[in-house]
Order: sequence, then C-alpha cells, then structure tokens
Amino acid sequence: MAKFGVEFVPSEPYWKTTFYAIQAEKKGFDYLWITDHFNNRNVYVALTAAALYTEKIKLGPGVTNPYLINPVVTAQAIASLNEMAPGRAILGIGAGDKTTLKSTGLEMHKPLTAVKECVEIVRRMTSEKSVTFEGDIFRTNDAKFLFKPRTEIPIYIGAQGPKMLELAGRLGDGVLINAGHPKDVSYAVGRVEKGLERSERGLADVDVAAYTSFSIHENLEKATQAAVPVVAYVAAGSPEVVLQRHDIDPEKAEKISKALRAGKWGEAFGLVSSRMIEAFSVCGTPEMCMERITQLLKSGISQFVVGSPIGPNVRKAIDLISEEIIPHFEG
Amino acid sequence: MDYRKIVEMVPIEKRDTLLNKLVNYVLKSKNIDKMPSGLAKTILHHWQHDSLANDLGLAAILEAAVALESDKTMSLLEEKMQLPDVRKAVRQ
Repeated sequence: MAKFGVEFVPSEPYWKTTFYAIQAEKKGFDYLWITDHFNNRNVYVALTAAALYTEKIKLGPGVTNPYLINPVVTAQAIASLNEMAPGRAILGIGAGDKTTLKSTGLEMHKPLTAVKECVEIVRRMTSEKSVTFEGDIFRTNDAKFLFKPRTEIPIYIGAQGPKMLELAGRLGDGVLINAGHPKDVSYAVGRVEKGLERSERGLADVDVAAYTSFSIHENLEKATQAAVPVVAYVAAGSPEVVLQRHDIDPEKAEKISKALRAGKWGEAFGLVSSRMIEAFSVCGTPEMCMERITQLLKSGISQFVVGSPIGPNVRKAIDLISEEIIPHFEG
Repeated sequence: MDYRKIVEMVPIEKRDTLLNKLVNYVLKSKNIDKMPSGLAKTILHHWQHDSLANDLGLAAILEAAVALESDKTMSLLEEKMQLPDVRKAVRQ
C-alpha cells in the first residue's frame, strides 16, 4: 500500500499551515513535511503547532541542513518534537540549497560528508548518553542532553545527485527523492539500491519517497498555472544532465535562472515550457495525477509526497487528493 | 458583538455553504496581521475536533472573516447568501 505525504512551506502564518495540517491528517495523509528555509517561518515552530493539533500524522522537517543548523541542535529539536508527538517525529536531512546558504555567508562545503556526519551525530545524540565525535566537518566533545530522548527517530535523507542518493540508501531509514518524473525517479531508485546493497539492505527495508512539485485541479489550465512558478525554480536549478534527460535546452533554463535572479518573474515564468512542466512536476486533473503516481509507484517508491504548490487552492487540492487519489491506492 | 447569537440566525440549509465560503476567505486573506491570536487557536481547536460547523465554530470563523475581509464578508452575507439580517447584526 502506498503512503502519502504532504509538504507545506511555512511562508504563511502558523495558523494557516496548521489548518492544512489538520486537514491533511483528517483526509488520510500519513506524513507531513515542513520545509526549512531561514527566510520562512521557523520549521520547528510550525511543526510544534501542527503536532499540538494533530494525533497520528508523522511529521518533521523536509529537509533541514547541517550548515545552518548544527547537528546537535537538530538532534535537540527533533527529540523535543518527538516528546510532544511521541513516535511521530521524522527527520529529513539534506545538503540545503546553494543560493539560500550563500545569502547567509555559508558555503556548501563537502555536502556528502556534512550530511553523513550530521546523520551520525543526530543518531548518537538521540540514543547515547554522551557523544564525542571527531569528524571532518563537525566535532562534539562529551555532548549530552539533560533529558532522555524517547524512541528512535527515523532519518530520511533528501537527495537528487547520484552520490547523495547512494549515501541515502546506505545510511537512511528513508530517502526523499527530489523528483516527480518516472525517468528521474527510476534512475534515483537505482542509485539508492546501490547504497542499500552496501548496507546489506533492500528497498523493503527503507521508505523511499518521491518528493514532488504537485498541482491538482479539475481544470488542467488552472493546475498548470499554479505549477509554473515552482517549475521555473526547479528548471533554473537543475543540473545539465537532468535537463538533457528531458530534452530541455540548458540555455533556456539559464535564461529562466537569469530572469529569476533579476526579479523578472513574468519573463521567467513565460519561459516555462510544457516540457518543463511535464518533467519537473506532477500536474493536472485527478486522472492525470493518478496516472503519474501509478507510474512512479512502479519505480519502487513507497511514499508519494505532494509538494508545493499542491494546487491553485490548497484546501480544495487536499480534498481532491483525498477523495480521488488516495482511495485508489489503498489496499 | 456576540457572534454566537448572530450565527443562530443562519438557517441550517445555508450553514455548510456559508462555512465553506468563510473558511476560504480566511485562508486566502492577505490581511494576516488582523487575525487575533486567540481566535486563530479557537478556530484550530474546532477544526481539530470536527466542530467548525456548530454554533461556536461558525461564530469563530465569521468573526475571523469579518476581521480579515470585512467588505467581502458583508457582501457575501447580503448578496450571495441572502442573509441581510445577519449582515445587519454583524454591522451593529
């Protein structure tokens, strides 16, 4: 049975995000992921509010990064959340995005090592009495909590590139694959499996999620319009190898990137093609979305995450997914 | 203004439609600073406990809609919902 997750960006006040979180739980979603960017509301504040008003949905940052938040603080935050929502806290860790990190004066230095060390520190801080760790990037010296963390917290690794995907397979309890097209997801699952082999595990031992840009509406045009801004950013930030996989002209993606950097939103969004929408989002009517999800599930994923924008009307989109899509994949 | 007494004036057959439209106004509003903190918590409490459609829940949503989107809400009550008495009571 496929599991469904939903991602919210805390760009809105906490009460809106929490309203949608309650709705998502009522409507059958299993996982709630909140993005972590310093320029939005704080992820753990948003998660705390969601935890207080929900009962069973699993929830966590999707994803935090080890550069802006020291792994010891991440361990503290997620253990505290797990105290408030016992057994429901989940943790997504990724390398972050270069643009956001740059604006805070941070470099994405050795991302694989940073994520690997972060995972180890968080695991040890939440399970051992005291942690002394000597890594390439992070160090702890007899670090310990003055409270006892509850149950083990599943760690998901957010990944897109081949090496990070393998690392995710090797170390993660779950993987968040940042893609929504079957070509990309199939490729990613293959890399995850390589990592799994190294840890003598298989796909059944981990939760592999397709973390998608999603937009649903009965009217295709409205669904597409809502997806365009997100797709513009994805296209602008995609490596050339991914663009080539979808026959997208890298020059066109670069033009979008330039327009976005210059704040020329209209120009950037106008350059988004139907091919880009198809490649970088799951977008359309319920029937169209269902067909794509079916294809993705065949690639080996076990969780499907509907990410921003979700739809032109988030509340209506959650209802549509619950009524038209989730029941189709139950049982 | 006692919003609970006001929502008692809304006929049962119009409650679901009214609630749905008011929730949309509140969620889509850009006037987020106008949402009183306590009222937001009241709404979330009723939503969590499936009681948004009862008198207390609907009263909270109506109060929030009036605070965040006053003109739209008045127009909704008067024109689309045909509830001039409710509109008048809110105005008072």
